[in-house]
Amino acid sequence: MSVVLKEHQQMLHQMAVDFARKEIKPLDMQIDKQQAYPKELWHKIIETGFLGLIVPNEFGGANFDAIAEAQTIFDIACNNASVAFTLEGHYKTVDQVKKYAKDSLKEKYLPQANKRIFGFGSTEPQGGSNIMGHSASAVKEGDYWILNGNKTMITNGGLAEVYLVLLKTAPEELTCFLVDKDMPGFKFGKQEDFFGMRGTPVGEIFLENVKVTDEYMIGKIGQGAEIGDQAHYDARINMGAIAAGICQHALDVVLDYAKQRKAIDKPIIELFSIQNKITEIAIAKENTQLLYEEAAKLKNEGKPYAKVATMAKSYGSRAAFSACDHALQVLGGYGYSKEYPIEHLLRDARALQIAEGSLEKMVIEIAKEVQKEVV
Amino acid sequence: MSLHIVVCVKQVPVSNNLKIDPVTKNVMRSSEPGIMNPFDQNAIEAALKMKERYGAKVTLLSMGPKNFEITLRQGLAMGADDAILLSSRAFGGADTLATGYVLSQAIKALGDVHLVFFGRQSIDADTGQVGPIVAEFLNWPQITYISQIYPVDNKSIEAVRLMENMEQSIKVTLPAVFTVRSELNEPRYATPRNIMLSYQKDIQVWDEKKLDVDPNRIGIKGSPTVVRKVWTPKKIVKKSESLGEDPDRAARKLLQILRARNII
Repeated sequence: MSVVLKEHQQMLHQMAVDFARKEIKPLDMQIDKQQAYPKELWHKIIETGFLGLIVPNEFGGANFDAIAEAQTIFDIACNNASVAFTLEGHYKTVDQVKKYAKDSLKEKYLPQANKRIFGFGSTEPQGGSNIMGHSASAVKEGDYWILNGNKTMITNGGLAEVYLVLLKTAPEELTCFLVDKDMPGFKFGKQEDFFGMRGTPVGEIFLENVKVTDEYMIGKIGQGAEIGDQAHYDARINMGAIAAGICQHALDVVLDYAKQRKAIDKPIIELFSIQNKITEIAIAKENTQLLYEEAAKLKNEGKPYAKVATMAKSYGSRAAFSACDHALQVLGGYGYSKEYPIEHLLRDARALQIAEGSLEKMVIEIAKEVQKEVV
Repeated sequence: MSLHIVVCVKQVPVSNNLKIDPVTKNVMRSSEPGIMNPFDQNAIEAALKMKERYGAKVTLLSMGPKNFEITLRQGLAMGADDAILLSSRAFGGADTLATGYVLSQAIKALGDVHLVFFGRQSIDADTGQVGPIVAEFLNWPQITYISQIYPVDNKSIEAVRLMENMEQSIKVTLPAVFTVRSELNEPRYATPRNIMLSYQKDIQVWDEKKLDVDPNRIGIKGSPTVVRKVWTPKKIVKKSESLGEDPDRAARKLLQILRARNII
């Protein structure tokens, strides 16, 4: 860990670790197998106040900063990456409401963010990262905006009740709106059947003549692309935390196994080849942690953090996949078996190379940022 | 009905490497990182349940050095309203009697208290004496080792006292002192919001000047207990043998051993 937690952050960290070990860890395998969260678990997560972690105090939340947010995501991801992924989808959306929504909408929706899950809808069936190629639209008619189109691959889609969506308001203009599942014309579409992160619902929503006032516009007309980017940058810090959490989870399983498993009467942890893999996993975790913590620190200080956050996700997603591959090798047949969590960790880790911007997009963004720094 | 409930909490050392004062033989608390005594979490939970049901103000009370504040903040983060730390060099070295005396004087100073909760005992000293001593100083009825509390009925409460081989159902009128067992409830998690808010609250620190206390009854002076010696008992390690991981083979081997020794 590169950052020193303040006393209240330390207390939050201890609570999150206790909660995750007691309430989430025992359900880790079940969540993957059943491709769903037990209802009771989300009830506990909401009642304990995790949804309100970054909601300002005046709206009934805890108002923790980016470091505490990433630490909490990590603490949870160490026990189950899906639960952390759902929280990440919620936090990045709430963050944009905090930054860009009108005061009257904040008063209406931020208190709800303590109890209702939020999601961010950007991708469409025709395009993912190329947001200007989208077709879902918002058209002004009198005092109202009429919203139409569909958004797919939404983290928490189907589970979330409140969504931010990026919609075309002109051919080259994207604008962000808030929609609620209870609005007339809002419909849920199909749920994805992914091979990893199986607890996190990823789904589609349809907007059919959903009518909203200007109040529901997040930011200004044409600010959608910026808000979409911002949501990605915020999310990537937490994606780094999830990657590091997966590494730690794999490390815990590997250490436990390698201390007990014997080869020629010696625990395999004494073998150089096993130590080599353990070291690789540990370095993957530590490096990823340094990156996302640095990004969170920059965000707290009000400094540019997009580059480091993108590096945390880019490096972390590959490091976590590689770490799980090493872990699988240590466990051999048991690693490949559904009896142990390693195979689902490997599948979970793979999602991180796609979600919140593909690895290929990361390369373009990091290269662009780095070139700006060259004197 | 709105109650004022006081919960007495203690910070206990987190590690096994306790430092003992060579003169007083007491645990050197200021040098130790600590955690809240686990039974005290049950006491806070019991108070918070009453607060939710009847409306109550929950005040935490602790005696110890300044670093005990973190334990009080943990209690605030669970949902308690206020916290008072009784802290002074003059209170140092207190045994259960002197501790009970100071706590009871603080409860008297608060004035409007209806109920005082304690955990059944602390996990460091393990005496379970302070709650009953406070009840005696206050001259209030007490129920110890509570595993169940019935609804408050017209300023009286009935609770079940769980002992090793019996249960007693006892009804007392308020004000009263309760000490609770872990069977009573499952302590709630501190919420992130309450954690944040707990650091925005001031913890009142009271010393001997704030309380009406007899200087001869506090701290070492007021402590008749003399600890003559503190030692760690030697661990006796007997020879052990692993019967392997396979349950069938292990069971057969165990059977052979037990038969060979004429145990079965």
